[in-house]
Amino acid sequence: MKKEQSAKAIRTRNDIIVHIVLAILAVIWTFPIFWVVMTSFRAEKGSYVSSFFPKSFTLDNYIKLFTDTTILNFPKMFLNTLIIAVFSCLLSTFFLLSAAYCLSRLRYKMRKPYMNMAMILGLFPGFMSMVAVYFILKAVGLTEGGMIRLALILCYSGGSALGFQIAKGFFDTTPMAIDEAAMIDGCTRWQIFTKITLPLSKPIVIYTILTSFIGPWVDFIFAKVICRANADQYTVAIGLWKMLEKEYIDNWYTCFAAGAVIISIPIALLFLKLQKYYVNGMSGAVKG
Amino acid sequence: MNKKRKRLLAAAMSAAFLLGATGCSAGGSTSGSGEKVRLMVWSPSEDQSKDSGEWLQTCCKNFAAQHPEWDITFVYGVADEATAAATVAQDPEASADVFMYANDNITVMTDAQALARFGGKYEEQIRSTNSDALLNSVTLDGSLYGIPYTTNTWYMYYDTSVYTAEDVKSLDTMLDKGAISFPFTNSWYLPSFYFGNGCTLFGDGTQEELGCDFGGDNAVEVTDYLIDLVHNPNFVVDADGAGMAGLRDGSLHALFSGSWDYGSVKEILGDNLGAAALPTYELNGAEKQMYAYAGSKAIGVNSHSEYMVPAVELAIYLGSAEAQELHYDLRSVIPCNTDLLAQENIAADPVVIAQNDTFDRTSILQPFVSAMGNVWDPVANMGKAIRDGSTNHENAAEQTMGMNNAMNSNGIG
Repeated sequence: MKKEQSAKAIRTRNDIIVHIVLAILAVIWTFPIFWVVMTSFRAEKGSYVSSFFPKSFTLDNYIKLFTDTTILNFPKMFLNTLIIAVFSCLLSTFFLLSAAYCLSRLRYKMRKPYMNMAMILGLFPGFMSMVAVYFILKAVGLTEGGMIRLALILCYSGGSALGFQIAKGFFDTTPMAIDEAAMIDGCTRWQIFTKITLPLSKPIVIYTILTSFIGPWVDFIFAKVICRANADQYTVAIGLWKMLEKEYIDNWYTCFAAGAVIISIPIALLFLKLQKYYVNGMSGAVKG
Repeated sequence: MNKKRKRLLAAAMSAAFLLGATGCSAGGSTSGSGEKVRLMVWSPSEDQSKDSGEWLQTCCKNFAAQHPEWDITFVYGVADEATAAATVAQDPEASADVFMYANDNITVMTDAQALARFGGKYEEQIRSTNSDALLNSVTLDGSLYGIPYTTNTWYMYYDTSVYTAEDVKSLDTMLDKGAISFPFTNSWYLPSFYFGNGCTLFGDGTQEELGCDFGGDNAVEVTDYLIDLVHNPNFVVDADGAGMAGLRDGSLHALFSGSWDYGSVKEILGDNLGAAALPTYELNGAEKQMYAYAGSKAIGVNSHSEYMVPAVELAIYLGSAEAQELHYDLRSVIPCNTDLLAQENIAADPVVIAQNDTFDRTSILQPFVSAMGNVWDPVANMGKAIRDGSTNHENAAEQTMGMNNAMNSNGIG
């Protein structure tokens, strides 16, 4: 009896220690986010504060961000980025999953060489080709005015098929027998892909959608090189960067924090919305 | 299902195109009967913003009205003076015909062969309305590469309720009577103390082969002074906006910055706003003058411009007294045209006085030789090391020598 109690006490004590450690880690991890959120509601201006908690709170930073558009047009940047990210996401998800499916299911002569080539190309950072990409886009007339959006969509989605490895690995775990059964029933390759492989691979589809949305959503370097002086085509990454330049920082710093909070919303929404499929898909792959 | 998805994708793609097309914005075109001219003009976004009076658009309209012989279509783009050079150099052919740049970037553009030289009557016109010091800031190997429209330097803002005009002549008096901040870890500001005691960069600023002279005994004396300065309780290192925050909460009474912070300082100090050129500091009993880096902002013309004559004429107009006066009225951009500076209302503005006094008296022209790129980091690191206490009186000589060596080396060979 006594022994049992002490075992329980030990367990309780261990739990307490573990939870305290976890709580401390959680505070450390969420601290920067918490700080940005608080700064976005800070009423005092300027980039430097002497106290951790703002002395007074306000919504003005958010209001200014969306109404004071003559110098830094945030709503427009937000819309630009959203359009670019949504279309890049659709395109690159399609490219990537298609490439992964072909490499997983089809057998043809150049399959192995292609995979090796993709692997090697993937080792180079994408921005290495930045200047070349700029001049190619310029040659086809995509670097002026509204075509910049299309140019950026192409940039972000064009190379996505090279990142097929994870999705291919996942498709490989689906037994070939299922495909064969479908084929005997008269399915085409396309139908197998859309009606069997994709529904069985929800986690990887969700993962692909998430990563291919976040890529263009947060990218700075390509947008900067391609937008150049076209201020009406700026994306939020460029806009937020501008807010920290010496001419703007004192006035725009708290708005910068507000902007940072706002751009995290679409990603958070996307993740929350897709998370349940993610977990469901992970729990069981193929059943009967 | 299949078809539907395809249609959806097609619709989505065409939507993207449409959105793209409507998002396209061309500049205003002015009706005229003459030769068709398309000029692309870049400026900082404030110059085009409605809230600050659309300086660029107004000037371009005036220019078009003065030149009925051309039917000009203006295309506006946004590039501030600091980044315009890099953007132009990236691809001169697809860049603006006329743009504004900070003079320290001049070699970036001449190396890319993107900057047109001014000659003949244009050169005479520019020379007749600008001071020699200003002209030197846009002259490279004897050729004139831009039309200066404002000086670019930093000076001192102070609280007139704490300091008198006499106090602000000496840094030590200021430290006795109030608290000040200085961007100690920023290498655009810190060398001002070293220049005061005879340190030089590239001889007169153009002799690259002479290198930096920041390592002698005179430099060590300055390092020792700076170590004491940082420990002064009335001295605050201004980094990440600490100076402005101190001014705002009243704990600081002076800060060193430039015209870009005028709006914020004015809002904080109101009628107590004072501005002055750099003070002197007392080094081993002698008064030494601080010297800021100075440069200019200028209007440049792209040497790849298809319409060279209209582009040069427009640049001349944007740099003219008329345009500078409008710039000053709308955005408080401090003019540099010598005729304009003689005008009473402008000559009496304390900020104009402070900036121009700094430019004329307490500054050195920021060298734009390419070896200048090696200078920034070692100086900033010196500032940080003194602040953190890792450079102290014991190792000041050695650390100063190390800084000088680093400034004279590109870090590779």
